[in-house]
Amino acid sequence: MNGNLSKLTSFHVTGIKPALEAEDAGERSFRPALFAGYGDLTKLRYDYPVVLVESAAGSKFAQSLSDVVDGILREIAPQGAAGERLRKHVLKLEEELRGLVSQKDGASLLDLWDAAEKSLLTRTEKAARDLLRDSLERARNALHVDGEVLDCDEATPTRFITRGWNVVQAAKIHAVKKRIEHLVLKLSDILRADYMKTEEARSAEIFRASVGTAYDEAFDFSAMSGILAKERAGDLLPDSRRQRVQAALTVLQAQRFHAPLHDFEQTVVRQPLYDFVFDSCAAALEAFRGRLPEMVEVIKAMSIAELEIQNLYRESRHEPFFERFDEGALGPDDLALFPSYLICLRDERIDPAEAGRIFELLNSDLPAKILVQTDDLLRNLSLSAGQTSSVGGLELGTMALGLNKAFVLQATNASLYKQREQIVNGLRRDGPALFSVFSGAMPRVAGVTPYLLAGAAEESRAFPVFAYDPAAGPDWALRFRIDDNPQAEADWPVHRMMYEDRDLQGTSEKAAFTFVDFALCDGRHGADRVPVARGDWHDDMIPVVEHLDLAEGHAPDKIPYVLMVDENDRLQRVVVDDKLIRAARRCGAMWHSLQELGGINNSHARQLLDREREVWEQEKGEELAKLAKRAEPAGDASPAVAPPPPAAPVETTIEVEAAAEAPSDEPYVETPRCTTCNECTELNSKLFAYDENMQAYIADPDAGPYRQLVEAAESCQVSIIHPGKPRNPNEPNLDELLERAAPFN
Amino acid sequence: MGIPVSECLLKLMAEGYTLDDYRGDIPPRWCTGCGDNGILAAVQRLCRDEQLPPERTVFVSGIGCSSRFPHYMNAYGFHGLHGRALPVAEGVKLRRPDLHVFVSTGDGDCCSIGAAHWIHAIRYNMDMTVLMHDNQIYGLTKKQASPTSPRGVKSNTTPRGTYLDPLNPLSVTLGVANVSFVAQAADWIPELLYDIISEAYHHKGFSFVRILQRCPEFMPHQFDPWVQNPDKMLLLTHEKGVQLSAGLSKVYRKQEAHDPGDLHRAREIASLSEQIPVGILYRDSDVPCYEDVRMVDRLHTPDVIKGVLEEEFDKFTIWPSE
Ligand SMILES: Cc1ncc(C[n+]2csc(CCOP(=O)(O)OP(=O)(O)O)c2C)c(N)n1
Ligand code: SF4
Ligand code: SF4
Ligand SMILES: [Mg+2]
Repeated sequence: MNGNLSKLTSFHVTGIKPALEAEDAGERSFRPALFAGYGDLTKLRYDYPVVLVESAAGSKFAQSLSDVVDGILREIAPQGAAGERLRKHVLKLEEELRGLVSQKDGASLLDLWDAAEKSLLTRTEKAARDLLRDSLERARNALHVDGEVLDCDEATPTRFITRGWNVVQAAKIHAVKKRIEHLVLKLSDILRADYMKTEEARSAEIFRASVGTAYDEAFDFSAMSGILAKERAGDLLPDSRRQRVQAALTVLQAQRFHAPLHDFEQTVVRQPLYDFVFDSCAAALEAFRGRLPEMVEVIKAMSIAELEIQNLYRESRHEPFFERFDEGALGPDDLALFPSYLICLRDERIDPAEAGRIFELLNSDLPAKILVQTDDLLRNLSLSAGQTSSVGGLELGTMALGLNKAFVLQATNASLYKQREQIVNGLRRDGPALFSVFSGAMPRVAGVTPYLLAGAAEESRAFPVFAYDPAAGPDWALRFRIDDNPQAEADWPVHRMMYEDRDLQGTSEKAAFTFVDFALCDGRHGADRVPVARGDWHDDMIPVVEHLDLAEGHAPDKIPYVLMVDENDRLQRVVVDDKLIRAARRCGAMWHSLQELGGINNSHARQLLDREREVWEQEKGEELAKLAKRAEPAGDASPAVAPPPPAAPVETTIEVEAAAEAPSDEPYVETPRCTTCNECTELNSKLFAYDENMQAYIADPDAGPYRQLVEAAESCQVSIIHPGKPRNPNEPNLDELLERAAPFN
Repeated sequence: MGIPVSECLLKLMAEGYTLDDYRGDIPPRWCTGCGDNGILAAVQRLCRDEQLPPERTVFVSGIGCSSRFPHYMNAYGFHGLHGRALPVAEGVKLRRPDLHVFVSTGDGDCCSIGAAHWIHAIRYNMDMTVLMHDNQIYGLTKKQASPTSPRGVKSNTTPRGTYLDPLNPLSVTLGVANVSFVAQAADWIPELLYDIISEAYHHKGFSFVRILQRCPEFMPHQFDPWVQNPDKMLLLTHEKGVQLSAGLSKVYRKQEAHDPGDLHRAREIASLSEQIPVGILYRDSDVPCYEDVRMVDRLHTPDVIKGVLEEEFDKFTIWPSE
């Protein structure tokens, strides 16, 4: 072991930085080697900037600039060479626009578009300008969306989720608002119809006012009123009903949860509408609880209105019910009629009390949509042994899974756009939802954009992407997804890295991206790493990922390193201390549990599979042994096994032949076949009567003579009356009647 | 959207209508033996079984014996003009899509004077149940030939018998664009009559049921061959149509498994001459209803109504100053 190597070993184990001769670690900035290609993102087409499209529905609320531009090109640029010029020009504009976004925070797409157009045109030589202008004009005509443009930074998660919430909210509540306005209108109709019956409504003054002064001379309003007053207008509503209708109407008009859709005559002054966006759970809970009595009133008023409008309100039955109607009676269906509460939190500001409230909300039926944004993902790394830290966004996400009740989405700024369907999903559900988002805007990380850092957090399993939707089905397979992570099947994603060696020959090498690579982006962990000069590279240095594969403490003599590039894009091996390795192991373990939940390498399934395989192999073995035995030449030929007799063909059609009814002595009617023609009932309505379906039967066989039974049988057009045998042997002409009855018995 | 009237509230208000609740104030004044009686009984049963609130149910008719139907129902009714039942019903449905709309019309009312409305009502496909009481004669006006009278029927208007083949209401209906439900029932098979009307009621769209209806007064024995010989009837059964009870199956042995989605076969069945088919000939649940197509997302508030009216009036107003 050369001198430097032993120093490195001791650094790895103790974390005490050695003074190395060859390289000066100093304050040099290193980036993970895989980042080398991603210096200036404005040159790349990726998910950002994102346009928060105005008046869009569902997951269309966000569209990446690239998607917008692709849409335009599909519309205007023909495939192949013919569209080449347009494509080139429009993509140039896109690049220009990307550059502008970071300078003009919050600008709209149209404004940026115009600015980008202008700067591009002024920078273009005169000769080429006309063609460029033509391309841009065509593109501009095909641009059909506008809205705020978002870059990927610290503010992104809140702005993105808030817009999604707004869009979902508007759509979800639209039907409720419509319903409420319909109820208001119908209740007003009831009161108005009632008013029209009053004397006041039929007074001369009212008629005069409704016709207007222009024709004052032409009408005799008093005479008109006199005539109409004489007409009976029907009863007025009972006072109790009118008051009930009026009260419900007032509640619905004054309620502050829903903005009106139409502006029509309000008879009640409404206070400003409620706000539903909060920056702490405490505030949201307080608001929710404070509004509960009002929510109860609204639900009550809606229910009463529905009943009143359908004329189904019965005081004796409904009064006691509504008297007892309180907060306890509000169910999830009722809560769904109100907007949800959006709570935007920052991970570093969540104290234990707030964390408790988050779980309280996530474990409830309340419509709380909680965004927890994490900026400093590695703050716990600098804790020394014995120190504890509060629960952060990373822990919240996995802990919330255990509640089994709330929707949970964990994502980063790099995948927000990809996850927009899931976001809308979680916002649409009636119950609580947690969105835990890592922004990538880490303090003290210079030279790496938030987008890249967020991506690195996903890549390194430091902040995996997952979604848990309890409404998606009964089991984890349907509810839980981790497949949006890079190479979700693997422990760590592996990439092929291309670089030039010392002889400027292009080579490539496979490199895994681990938690260590991610952690080293953070300037604070400069202390945990030591770059090693090429001359000191040694066989006992192994890549971190190999080190992590070894069981803990198994290779005390191996020194783990990662590949990084310095400011000159030169590849370096960087040795890290054991603390980082331990953190990486924890991260890997957490990833494994997520994988298991997501159905990848599930340990139970694997055990079951192993057991089954064992059983199967054993059975197979026995069978083979048996076969082998049988194959041995035997003295007496064993009888061939007879094939089972062919199964009798299954009867597919079943003839339901009801047993023939024995001719009865009692008279009867085949009631289900009766056509309600009135023939028999008119003949004798005591003998024949209709049942609850208005079909005839023999109500009282003694209510008429046998003769009437026979006559009815003869006049029944569908021949379903059977007179039976005479009950009175002394009735005259029985012989003749029996003969006539014969065909009907 | 969950309407806050919870199940529990609905139970609180369940009235439990009986068949009597659907009976009008006056007893039916149809002749004894008239098939209309059975149709009325079937419809009253349906209303009871579906628990239709009388105040949310409307019966519309034209003129004829059959068109007296609304009088015998306790519900809203509109005994309209001869041939004009359908336009009235369409108006009701367009403005009040929440109501259950039934139409009773006769073969004269529907296929003669009202034929134009009939064709267009099929095309509009508005959600209503149309019962065409076909007794093959004008009953109310005491026996005049109708478009469905069989050739040769002697009547007050055709003393030497009719000269033309009758119009086939089933084939006509099946030939119109947007047709969505066509069935045939016979008043003398009440069990099926009920089932078919029930299917028609549950179909969303214009459900046309031609009911062969006996008129013992002016067409006595007209249907006797079929009433007396069940083998002359062809019962259409299908899992997507109606199914027969064991008892009925025994009496009516001629059956065909007919898929109501098969328009081609439906047209063939409609044209049978000797046998009378009974059952659901055609059903397509995907045809849009006019009231849905024309649904406006606008509340008819008093202000809106006033505004629209003022606008219309202004078009005709002569202002004194001008
Ligand atoms: C405009 C007009 N024309 C003619 C009549 C006379 N009229 C009354 S009922 C009727 C025919 C009814 O026949 P149908 O519709 O088959 O009813 P049914 O009586 O057979 O049930 C006629 C022509 C009328 N009432 N109004
Ligand atoms: S005569 Fe026959 S069909 Fe008519 S009511 Fe009586 S049993 Fe029914
Ligand atoms: S005339 Fe015919 S259709 Fe009219 S009531 Fe009498 S039997 Fe019925
Ligand atoms: Mg008729």
